[in-house]
Amino acid sequence: MKNPLLRFCAAGAVLLASLITASAADSKLIVAMLPKSKGNAYFISCKAGADKAAKELGVQLLFDGPTDSNAAKQNEIVENWITLGVDVITVAAENKEGISTALRKAQKQGIKVLTYDADAMADSRSFFVNQATPQGIGQTLMDEAARLVGEEGEFAMIVGSLTAANQREWQKYVEARLKEKFPKMKLVAVRPCDDLKDKAQSESTALLSANPKLKLIMAICSPGVPGAAEAVKQAGLTGKVKVMGLGLPNENKRYVHAGVTDSVILWNTGDLGYLTIYAGVALAKDELKKGAKSFKAGSLGTFAIEGDNILLGKPFIFNQGNIDQFDF
Amino acid sequence: MKRYFRELSVVGALLAVLLGLAWFAPAFFSPQPLLSLVTREAPTLVVACGMACVIITRQIDISVGSIFSVCSVCAGLLVARGWPLELVLPASVGLGALFGALNGFLVAVLRLPSIVVTLATMVTLRQGLNLIRQGEFVNLPDRVQWFGLSQTAGQLVLVGAALGLLVALAWAMRHIAAGRYLYAVGTDAEAARLAGIRPQLVTLLVFVFIGALTGLGAMMNLAQSPQVQPLTGNGLELKVIAAVVVGGVAISGGRGNLWGAFAGLLLLACVSPALTHLHVEAYWEKAVQGAIILLAVVADGLRSRQNNR
Amino acid sequence: MSPAAQAPAISNKARRDWRALLTRHEMLLLYVLIAEWLFFYFAGTSTNRRGVIVGFGTWDRQFDILRHSCEIGLLALALTPVIITAGIDLSVGSLLGLCAILFGKLWHDGGLPIPVAMGLTLGIGALAGALNAILITALRLPPLIVTLGTYSLFRGLAEAITRGSITYTDFPENFLFIGQERWLGLPTQAWIFISVALAVGLLLHRTTFGRAFRTIGLAPEGARYAGLPVERRLALVYVLAGLIAAIAAIIYTARLGQAKADAGTGYELFAITAVVLGGTSIFGGTGTIPGTLLGVAAIAVLKNGLACLPVVMRLNAAEEMSGLLTGALLLVALTASVLPKILSNLRPRRHTTTQSTPPLSP
Repeated sequence: MKNPLLRFCAAGAVLLASLITASAADSKLIVAMLPKSKGNAYFISCKAGADKAAKELGVQLLFDGPTDSNAAKQNEIVENWITLGVDVITVAAENKEGISTALRKAQKQGIKVLTYDADAMADSRSFFVNQATPQGIGQTLMDEAARLVGEEGEFAMIVGSLTAANQREWQKYVEARLKEKFPKMKLVAVRPCDDLKDKAQSESTALLSANPKLKLIMAICSPGVPGAAEAVKQAGLTGKVKVMGLGLPNENKRYVHAGVTDSVILWNTGDLGYLTIYAGVALAKDELKKGAKSFKAGSLGTFAIEGDNILLGKPFIFNQGNIDQFDF
Repeated sequence: MKRYFRELSVVGALLAVLLGLAWFAPAFFSPQPLLSLVTREAPTLVVACGMACVIITRQIDISVGSIFSVCSVCAGLLVARGWPLELVLPASVGLGALFGALNGFLVAVLRLPSIVVTLATMVTLRQGLNLIRQGEFVNLPDRVQWFGLSQTAGQLVLVGAALGLLVALAWAMRHIAAGRYLYAVGTDAEAARLAGIRPQLVTLLVFVFIGALTGLGAMMNLAQSPQVQPLTGNGLELKVIAAVVVGGVAISGGRGNLWGAFAGLLLLACVSPALTHLHVEAYWEKAVQGAIILLAVVADGLRSRQNNR
Repeated sequence: MSPAAQAPAISNKARRDWRALLTRHEMLLLYVLIAEWLFFYFAGTSTNRRGVIVGFGTWDRQFDILRHSCEIGLLALALTPVIITAGIDLSVGSLLGLCAILFGKLWHDGGLPIPVAMGLTLGIGALAGALNAILITALRLPPLIVTLGTYSLFRGLAEAITRGSITYTDFPENFLFIGQERWLGLPTQAWIFISVALAVGLLLHRTTFGRAFRTIGLAPEGARYAGLPVERRLALVYVLAGLIAAIAAIIYTARLGQAKADAGTGYELFAITAVVLGGTSIFGGTGTIPGTLLGVAAIAVLKNGLACLPVVMRLNAAEEMSGLLTGALLLVALTASVLPKILSNLRPRRHTTTQSTPPLSP
């Protein structure tokens, strides 16, 4: 054992071996929850609701996902859960087709599969906990934007990335709604911010000076809203250029109070997590079956089911009046 | 004149872009938005100065983005706990220097290749931060933004500080022995050693230096907005390396200067706002940036061929 | 010398060879891999509520690990010769993305049959590699910078072509077979991976090309004086890297059933980590394919094994932990590889073997 490397390896092996802990055979139901990306505040608040539900129901919650939105990683994590033999898998799909192969495999092994936030192919899951259809989000965003600027003028969009599937979908419906309802409004630019708040700020600053007639910036990724708001504030255009978008209350409170950001739209993500876990457990215990018309989820009460979609309800609009009631 | 041909050609390209913008999109030059955009690049400039020094010494540091994020979050947490800025600033610089010293130790003392060492520290720090913060924003008290000054004053202070640092460093690189040591070590470490310089020590210190500058840059970024996003430094390393290289600092060490790096940074930083002003769709941004980098290296290659002939 | 005197010398030499073999980097890595695997086997396998054995120690899991490491493994294979010649290629991950969407486009929009689209994609990969090669050899530019440029360029083109949004899906079943099914007991793509590994291994270890790569990595000028066609050999290495990245792109597309511009983002970092962990010197000159394969395996087992540990599961931190430990593992491997030299340098006369600080390789 002259070689230090060899000695090091031996020591390491001994250390590793001593670390082994017999995993107690847990008799709890295991529910696994896959977000699109873990670091995203949206999913963090989702997890808070899920944790609460898991505690109430006495199940073990696994929450893991890619650290950045990544379809390939999502598949790998689901496949890992299959071999871990979890009871329920709930997924916010980054890519519809991609994830569905893995989910079908899970179903074949007797694992119950639910989707939430973003759906997979219909045959690869039992239910979709639908927080709002992409169409609903697009319409709500566009209608709120139109209301803020009196249905006329130029506006620009900040998106998370040019490749994220849900962002593209929302953008599509925003544009469709624009075309159909608000002929006097014009979308002048769409800029990506790579999910970075600082980049959203730089992009918005450039947008403001490039488009002097700009009336509103709509950011549809959560770091984008405070970034755009900071740019408007620094440009001294508070009130003249409105800021709105999809985001979280805590990240936007100060801008909403300062009158920079007018409204932040979000379905209640905590409730989304809560409802998803309740539905998952009910599914595993055979209490929730195909064809059910409604579903009762703990303290949240009863939700309607339409086909195989469990509906969470309309997106929520935070503004100066109500934003302080929320802490996530 | 000929000696600085490379740097001047970058300045020329920059001027061409600016002229084009002046012609097609004069709104680009309205003072307030321009000042905001320039202020956004001030922290990047500080880190780029450090990167130029590292590359001149024939090393590279790709962990700056992660160090930047870690320093930002730590400084943000300290500020949120009520620490005064006068204490947080040295703490952030010190933390950066500490990480720099780790890189420097591995590269200079253990003689490991810097690209791999800093790749490893980059991944380790980034994932460690992810593990602890899970992406959560740090909300800062209002007194932090612009150091409590008015916005324009704060922006001018930040831009002034970055430019002052640039001027001081550029001067030091030419006129102070320590600056010339970097060129000596980058050109030929063995010859430098025979000339009485200690290449190992120089290498160690240059990593400590870029770490400290990264910590400083993180503070300059912190002072610009009331929130810190833990992802804030993502991609910073590629941005500054590209800027430095486009600015004519040779990746093979020993050649280039900070003014070139400055011009390179401005040129690359122009791309995104310029595309916005010219109403070009965003899909082309990455391709344009890649093309500029390639163009710069091709120019380098052609020139060194000519010189060889 | 008499034959009798020669015998002990040979056996001495044989003994030394045997010891050298046992303490070679690859062997050490193999011990680490085995230790790692055993640890996860015992700590990461359990019986679940329904009495089924689950976790790391199942065949399904092992096949999944193999399936998931094929693309990064291929990129690592592509990078091994590159790094042996003291070069680097940062663009392989971006090229994977570009090839994936071009493949999708050729099949979906171009209406070409899958095999033709595959062939063209391989050609495109090789062409993109040739672009790197021309810049690096004809203009004598540093590979780090050239491929940093093409890293942005390829990804940017992929985004520009699809305008970020277009995702090609609905590939036919027999194509998806490559990425999602098993053939002769192993995941289908593993066979492709093994063939490429064999091919690159033979090229590197059984032909004069391999020796040329090593010579170029050690001393490019010397290689030129020795009459080696340095430029052509270097070009071959980068074209090969492009070609292999295209193969990885096809496998990736088949595994996920989708082609999108973000395919393979960040893969280059994992691939470089695997190659360096496998004992290839970043300064060029040394490195083996078995080493790279072991490096890929060590990372893959770590990544997948962690996700099976109860502790990590409770922390919900498998992703971050695996990234963290991969980085740490790389640092430890690097330090361990130079430690003996440093120690022996420290003890006796200090200043005899002062080397210059290693330069940045490319």
